Amino acid sequence: MTSDLGDGPAEPEHFKPTGTVVILTAFVLTIILLWASVYLILLSRGVTT
Amino acid sequence: MTISAEKTKYELTGQEKRFIGWHILVAVIALFVGSLFGPLQAFEFSGWDLYQYLAPALKSYYQGLTLHGVLNALVWTTFFIVGFTNLTTIKGLRRPLSHPMLNKIGFWTMLVGLVTTAVPLLAGTATVLYTFYPPLEASWAFYLGLTLVVVGSWIEGYGFFLTYRGWRKDNPGIRSPFIAFAGVMNMAMWQIATLGVAAEILSMLLPWSLGMIDATDPELARTYFWFTGHPLVYFWLLPAYISWYGMLPKQAGGKLFSDSLARLAFWLFLLVSVPVGFHHQFVDPGIATGWKWIHAGLTYAVFFPSMLTAFTVIASLEYAGRKRGGTGLIGWIRALPWKDPSVSAQLLAGILFMFGGIGGLVNASYNINTVIHNTTWVPGHFHLTVATAVTLSFIGISYWLVPHITGKKLYKPSWAVVQTWVWFVGMIIFSNAMHVLGLLGAPRRTPLGEAPYVPEEWSGHLLRVSIGGGILFVAVIMYVWIMLRTATGKKADPEDVPEIPIAESLRDPQLTPEWLDSFKPWLIGAVILIVVAYGPQLLEQIANIQLNAPGIGPP
Amino acid sequence: MSVEQAPAKKTMGVDPFERNWMLFSIALLVVFFTLVTIAGFALGFQVPGVETEVDPATVADSGPFASPGLRQIADGEYEAHVVARTFSYDPREIEVPVGSKVTIYVTSVDVQHGFKIQDTNINMQIVPGQVSKLTYTFDRVGEFPYICTEYCGIAHAAMYGVVKVVQPGAGGDG
Repeated sequence: MTSDLGDGPAEPEHFKPTGTVVILTAFVLTIILLWASVYLILLSRGVTT
Repeated sequence: MTISAEKTKYELTGQEKRFIGWHILVAVIALFVGSLFGPLQAFEFSGWDLYQYLAPALKSYYQGLTLHGVLNALVWTTFFIVGFTNLTTIKGLRRPLSHPMLNKIGFWTMLVGLVTTAVPLLAGTATVLYTFYPPLEASWAFYLGLTLVVVGSWIEGYGFFLTYRGWRKDNPGIRSPFIAFAGVMNMAMWQIATLGVAAEILSMLLPWSLGMIDATDPELARTYFWFTGHPLVYFWLLPAYISWYGMLPKQAGGKLFSDSLARLAFWLFLLVSVPVGFHHQFVDPGIATGWKWIHAGLTYAVFFPSMLTAFTVIASLEYAGRKRGGTGLIGWIRALPWKDPSVSAQLLAGILFMFGGIGGLVNASYNINTVIHNTTWVPGHFHLTVATAVTLSFIGISYWLVPHITGKKLYKPSWAVVQTWVWFVGMIIFSNAMHVLGLLGAPRRTPLGEAPYVPEEWSGHLLRVSIGGGILFVAVIMYVWIMLRTATGKKADPEDVPEIPIAESLRDPQLTPEWLDSFKPWLIGAVILIVVAYGPQLLEQIANIQLNAPGIGPP
Repeated sequence: MSVEQAPAKKTMGVDPFERNWMLFSIALLVVFFTLVTIAGFALGFQVPGVETEVDPATVADSGPFASPGLRQIADGEYEAHVVARTFSYDPREIEVPVGSKVTIYVTSVDVQHGFKIQDTNINMQIVPGQVSKLTYTFDRVGEFPYICTEYCGIAHAAMYGVVKVVQPGAGGDG
């Protein structure tokens, strides 16, 4: 854990996680789709107060 | 100039390896036995009743289900986690445990607890499922045994705390090593969490099953249980996260994308894992809707550190993939070392966990919960989480851990890779069918093969559950076989024995701010949140306790 | 090679993409939670709350649970009291005219049970000592089984009843 981390002691390496953003965009779209479909099932089954 | 402590690496001693090994051994045996019941349940859904051939040794679907749940969700997990935390503490801090006798006592207490609980489980006097809701009553030995397992884990926890505290005294101002901090924090969260089930067992279930009191207050018992039951899942998950953050990036050939955010995610779990338990009680009587709604909000808050984890871990993997020569927006995924079974297990676990997380968000959503409460959606969900994110990751960890502690080579790594994919495929089939069945209304904890209200519409999905369950069983057998052959293989040359992978972070952890390496503020915050979110409702239930449900005793 | 310098400021060093992800995640969770709150507190998709506490030993001896079943309380409005026990519901059948608003009260005289009316949002945990209540308007003709969703013993899988929603005048009420 001591090792020399390469590009300077205070700056993170200039790595841009663009692929991560793509994957997580797909993930978010999936969340929205799946969550919304169950929300709609709730709404379609009728009020319970 | 970076400041760092104890530059020398620490190699686990033979004794430490053996001690860890005992935990893993018990864990794997529990997983093996617990998983034997999986296919029985899955096949029953299609009407193939294998229980008739196992009677009278196995008395019912429900006894099998109890064994499956207790052994897989409570024993496999707890023993693996405590064993793994021994490793992360010792290796992370690069020093032996400060009071190894404590950990030995803790382990033996856990083992005695396991045996104590196993007796009624196998005898059929604790067929109460792993949630053991009163007033369905089990033998006192069941409750006592579980208590001892928890107490044993606490004792081992004290061993970790003292070791960690010793390191911090010797290294003032230095960032605690990530895997050590995270493991210790998980144990701290666990000790807070288990207060609920301890209160339930000590104040009600043991006195009741020992005949000292006649009856229980089942709703209070539920509140106590789920005080523990939700942080329980983070107790399971966080060790997998420790590997994903603190080990996997190294195994993938890269580094941890952000030390600060990794620590922040963990602290947030300490802060918000406990005050959310009412989301398991959304449709309970006796609990005010206002409190249920507040817990729903807090549950949404505890989802956040997992979203954070998704980014940090995937970014770490992307860094590794590109470092290995991967190109393209997502093409680097293929450059990751998929041929390393430890890596493939954890990557596949992460993929399925994304769906487990989405399902969890649905479950947490207050009124949406009425769509899926106590349906097969729920076990569909938790097979993606505890049975994949956690279990498949632990399997992946054991693919280097067991060779490391035994000094032997992993038996047939290419089979191990296949094993992870078999699990992945089986789980997709099983879990997806269970989710769909849940939306169609199928109840959980029910032998659907014999339920009279099952419509024809469910048949195809029930069959898929059976197929998925069968495939998963093959995956478990493959895993146990690989472990057995590895452990009984011949000693390997030292250079063929895997090292413990410890990831470095892209940025010097010493730059991570102090407040992300300090227990006090987060512990205080956690206690305040618990008092606020649980205090009024719990105190009200305790003050108005009605011990009027004697229930039904064990046969 | 590293340059000797004063200790660098301790910051979190958050990548801008990750910061945006964090903010977006929080926003997404807030939107979802708002939708849930609107559905719950404005539109009436509610969960059970606190009702009366009862003694399971005597709850079916007197009071509304002593004669379980459907009772009309107003035009188009009913109350149903259901007693859950191993391994049946009393009543096993509830018949209502379509369009009826029914308030359902369920309790248990022995162990925990579930009460889920298929294809509706009635899904409740039934706990001895407590009363579970929700109100629902049955606006579709048909048969809606109610099933036990909590393990209650060996014959748990056989525990069910049915709500029959009929055209008005097609059958007697409870």
